[in-house]
This record gives sequence, structure tokens and C-alpha cells, in this order.
Amino acid sequence: MRTLRLQLEDALRNFWRGVRQWSGDSAYETYLACAERQRAPKPLTATEFYVEQLNRKYSRPNRCC
Amino acid sequence: MKRLLQTLIWTAVAVLGAVALGTIAFHRGEPINATWFVLAAVCSYLVAYRLYSAFIAAKLLALDNSRATPAERRDDGRDFVPTNKWVLFGHHFAAIAGPGPLVGPTLAAQFGYLPGTLWLIAGAAFAGCVQDFIILFCSIRRDGKTLGEMARDEVSKRGGLIAQLAVLTIMIILLAVVALVVVNALKSSPWATFTLAMTIPIALLLGVYLRYFRPGRVLEASFIGVALVLFVVVAGQWVADSPYLAKVFTLGGVTLAFTIIAYGFAASALPVWLLLAPRDYLSAFIKAGAIFSLAAGILLVRPQVLMPPLTRFVDGSGPVFAGKIFPFCFITIACGAISGFHSLISSGTTPKMIQREGHARFIGYGAMLLESFVGVMAMVAACAMTPGVYFAINSPASIVGATPEAAAATISSWGYPLSAGTMTGLAHAVGEQTLLNRAGGAPSLAVGMAQIFSSTIGGERLLGIWYHFAIMFEALFILTVLDAGTRVGRFMIQELGGRVWKPMGRMNWMPGILLSSALIVGAWGYFLYQGVVDPLGGINSLWPLFGISNQLLAAVALVVATTILLKMGKLKWIWVTLLPMAWLVIITMTASYQKIFSANARIGFLSQANALAAQIAAEKIAAAKIADTQRNIFNLRLDAVVTAVLAVMILVLLVEALAQWYAILSRDKAPVLQETPYVATQWAEGD
Repeated sequence: MRTLRLQLEDALRNFWRGVRQWSGDSAYETYLACAERQRAPKPLTATEFYVEQLNRKYSRPNRCC
Repeated sequence: MKRLLQTLIWTAVAVLGAVALGTIAFHRGEPINATWFVLAAVCSYLVAYRLYSAFIAAKLLALDNSRATPAERRDDGRDFVPTNKWVLFGHHFAAIAGPGPLVGPTLAAQFGYLPGTLWLIAGAAFAGCVQDFIILFCSIRRDGKTLGEMARDEVSKRGGLIAQLAVLTIMIILLAVVALVVVNALKSSPWATFTLAMTIPIALLLGVYLRYFRPGRVLEASFIGVALVLFVVVAGQWVADSPYLAKVFTLGGVTLAFTIIAYGFAASALPVWLLLAPRDYLSAFIKAGAIFSLAAGILLVRPQVLMPPLTRFVDGSGPVFAGKIFPFCFITIACGAISGFHSLISSGTTPKMIQREGHARFIGYGAMLLESFVGVMAMVAACAMTPGVYFAINSPASIVGATPEAAAATISSWGYPLSAGTMTGLAHAVGEQTLLNRAGGAPSLAVGMAQIFSSTIGGERLLGIWYHFAIMFEALFILTVLDAGTRVGRFMIQELGGRVWKPMGRMNWMPGILLSSALIVGAWGYFLYQGVVDPLGGINSLWPLFGISNQLLAAVALVVATTILLKMGKLKWIWVTLLPMAWLVIITMTASYQKIFSANARIGFLSQANALAAQIAAEKIAAAKIADTQRNIFNLRLDAVVTAVLAVMILVLLVEALAQWYAILSRDKAPVLQETPYVATQWAEGD
């Protein structure tokens, strides 16, 4: 019973993580983790990253017919 | 033992799919249950994925999971981000799924359910999925290069330029036609117009929230936004019931067209975080919810499909758009079976985020199968309504008449019984003044969806709410395509302009932004206006033009794919891309020829222009209408020129590619592949 509950919690956690990645909600966390791995001297703030990411995303075809 | 069990299961799936396909193909006389469509589609997709995509992955592309992808090699946390394959599948699907697979099949239902359904399934399995999958693979092997860059590197410089021009042309036609679909859905409908108008302040509110209060917290902002949007769908009914507000939000086609043009300009010129991005978030959630609900609704309700397998309009005399099954069914279905636009997504964001080469099969081939399924559901929703009602909603007034009585008499005379009371009753039930003459597919799809949803929740009482929810869902994500497309078009114009005059290429130079926004909006706005004032309803001329340009871009993508495969030494399997490419060239050329030169004035642009000119010469046009008619003649000739330009583009590219293929096959020239060199992955197998 306990194993089943743990499995269910794990599945829900993975699902929620997936939804956050899909929607872009966790994009800044991903960027910070990458900047830390690469020892970037001065990572962007959340606002700077958000605006810069949107400007890049919407300068190329990203929605289809 | 396990292998035997697998063989038995797959044989059962294949047999079930064949039985379902046979049932929908040979069923005659009585209505048929929609479950057969779902079974036929799902079983065919499973078999195609299991066998054909595996064959392409192994024999043709030799996907290599030991090779590091661009996301691994260039991981920067911004563009190149290794992403879980299920999440990337969702990303890719959200990007490729637009209004096309909903509107195209709805329009093609005028031929009956059979031709469109068969092409949706077979076209996706053998053409659309193949294109998406192979272009994704090619782009992964080239660090995420775009289709235009690959055409330039692998075919020729001219090939690259043609691909860029094709993208810009399709963008202009696409934006005009989707805007026309919105205009036809909103005209004279205060409820729908209010609902959609309110999504703009909601998006602005979310934009400010995400920029200044909770940067990047997309989920919480989207939940707030979706709740507000659902509220305004309900509030729209109060607006429609208020004599004063209903008058304010009751707009004609031309006013709506200019409003949408102004909106497109604003969305292109304003900072992206303020309007465009928050609308896109709202649209993504509502799109996912509505598509899931439609699938669930069809499975729960299992409606009867009332449209016959083939209608009398297979002869080309259809009221929704003119032209025979070949080539117009294929041109009209477009995105649900194969879409050239997908090659831009497959060579854009997705290849930069893929973790393993092996995931390309699931994401490239699999997401297109899902898009095709959306098309099949749209076909079911359109065909589940009475054929008479379908034709009354989708036919222009110049063919069926502008009153319920006239429309009922005309449509009944075609053999599809309809009473005037049915149309007025239905309009009343969904909270509209009229549902007549709303070509474009959106309103009839909304009626179909509303009937399915209300059979599950709420019954007749909630028909109006469901109808306006469906209209809001379609219009919301069509406008998202419109504003995102306008912005991309603006960038393309700035980039091209920058080659002639340097300051124009500076993306943050305000005069350049305003000028290029005005140019792109002016281009699609012109075609939109032309469609709105077209006496044949606009869709008759614009949707085939859109279909031709879309399929042309798909042909460009398949030419690039074929060239790359030849260079890879895959001559034995070249038919995988060569056959769909040849098919697309045949249908786009035939459709282009007919749209320009057909003697039937409802099909051929030139013959319609000549017929109108002859009427002016014979003084059969009232003096007050001569200016309008002359403008109409100009527009028809312009459409003929645009169609000819599209056809010439594909012919030039084909000649370029044939020269390249001949050089490779005759060994005149050593094939040079522009792939990035092999780098072994550093990730363990399970990562």
C-alpha cells in the first residue's frame, strides 16, 4: 500500500514537473542550473531572462497553421 | 513466447483497423457511428508508427543514440535545452497544431466524409509524418538549422532563396485566410465578438503580471487567465441580451476586418511580453483542453455521422468551394495530412531541444499522427450534423440565398432536406441571430462541437455556452497564429530590408519596426479585405490559395529531404520522400492550373474576372456597383498572378534539385553532406 502511494506521488511529481517544463514555468530554473554548471559569471535576473527568452522565441516561426 | 504474443496483438490491431476502414469506405444508406472513424484512425496510426516509422528510422535515417545531439553539445539553458521526450512531444505538438486541421476537414466535408477521412489517415502516415520526421532528423544533424539554410547548403543558393520566399508568401496568405475565418465567425455576433475582445485586456493584464510581479510564472498566470476567459464566455450572453451592449458589439465583416488588421499591427509592434506571449499562453491551455474535450466527447457520445460518404459535390459544383475531389480535397485538407509549415517547426525549436536522436521518431512522426487525429475528429464533428445544416452554415449567400427560407429551399433542392425553422431554431439555441452564410469552417465546427459537448454536459440548455466556448477557442488560437505570424513576417521583412538599407535590419529601430509591421499587415490585410468583400464568400478563393502555398512549402521540404537522402547514399529507399513529393507537385500544379485557367468561373480566377468584365461591357452591372466589380476583377487577376508565382517557384526549385540529383547519381560531383561531425554522447543510456 505504501509502495503504491509512493509510486503515485512519484508519478504526480513527474507529471507536474513535465507540465512546468512544457508551459515554460521552470525555464528560468533550467537556465540558472545551466549557468551554474557552466560557471557563468553573471547570470540574467528572472525578469531579464523572461523578456530575452520571449524576444528570441517570437522572432522565428513557433506557431503553425 | 513474448514475440508470438506481440505478433498476435499487432495482427489484431491491423485486422481491426482494416475492418474499420472497410466499414467506413463501403457503408452506404444509413448513418454510421463515429466509433468506426476513431477505430480506423487509431489502428492505422498504431500500425504506421510501429512499422513504417520504424523502417524509416532504421533503414533510411539510421538514427544513432550514441551521437550527441545539439541540445547536449551546445546546452546553454536558452535555445539548446535537453528536454524530456514527452515534454518535447507536447511542445512540438502545441507548435504544429493550428486551425488548419480543424478548418480544412470541415470544409472538405462538402465532398462527404470518405475522401477527406481517407486522405487524413493515409496522407499523414505516408507524407505528413514522413516530412516532419525526416526534416527534424536533418536539422538535428545540422545543429538545428532552418529549412531555408538547409535548402541553401544542400540544394543550391537559389533553393535557399526560394524556400525563404515561399515561407514569406505562405505566411501572408495564411494570415489572411485565418483572419477571414475569424471575421466570418464573429460577424453579427455580439456574444462571440465580446468574448474575443475581452481576451485582449485579459492578455494585457497577464503580460504586466508576468513582467513586473511574478516574472516567468506562466502556470499561475495562465490559470488566472483561463478562469477569466471562461467567465467572459458566460458574460457574453449578458452582453448579447443587453440591447445597448449588443448593438456596440454587433459588427459587420469590413469593420471586423479593419479591427483585426489594427490588432495585428499592434501585436507586431508592441513589446512581445505585453500582448503576444500572454495570449499564446492562454491559447495553449485552452487549445489543449478543447482538443482533449472533443476527443473525450466523441468517445463518450459516439455520435452518428449523418453526412453521406460521398455527396453530389464530388463533381466540383460544391457550394462551400468549387472544384473536384482531385486536386481540391487534398489542397483543402492540407495541414491535417501534410503541412509545409511543420517543416519550419521541425527545423526550428524542436531539434535544439531533443535529447537523443532516437526521440526524433516519436516526436516528429508521432506528433503529426496526433495532428491527423485532430483532423479526423473535426471531420466527425462536421459530419455529425445534418448535411442540410452544414451546407446552410458554410455556403455563401450568393449561392443559397440570404434568408432561412431561401437557403432551405435551395439546399433541399440539392437532396439535403432542410426547413427554415431548423436554421432559425438552431441559431436561437446557440444564442445567435443567424448561422447562415458563415463560410470558413469555424461556426459549423463550433455547432458540431457544441452538439457533442451538450450531449455530455448540460443538454440543450448549455448549447449556447458550448457554441461560444468553441468559437472562442477557435478564434483565440487563430489570433495567436495571426499575431505570432505577423511578428515573424515583420522580422523577415526587416532582415530582407536590411540587405538593401542597413538601418532597416536593426531589430530595435522603431521606424524600421513600424514600417515592416505596416508592410506585413498591409499585405495580409489586403487579401483579408478582398476575402471579406468577395461575393463568393472569400473562402472559395483564399482557402485554395492557402492550401496551394502550404503544400508548395511541403514540396520544398521534401525536395530538401530527398537531396539529403541521396547524398547519404540512400538511393534504394528514396521513394519514401520522392513519392509524396511527386504527389504534392502533381496536386499543387493541377490546382494552380485550374485556379488560374479553368473555364468554370467559380474555379478559374481569370475566367471569373473575364465574366465580370464582359458583364460590365454588356452594361449588365448597375452603375453604382461598377467600381466594386472592377476592384473584384483586379483582385481576381492578382490571385491568378500569386498562384502563378507559387507554381513557378516550385518548378524552379525542382529544376535546381534535379540538376543536383543528376550530378550526384552520375558521379559528376562528389556528394558533400553539410552535417556537423560526429561527437559521442557523454550521457549514459538511461539519461
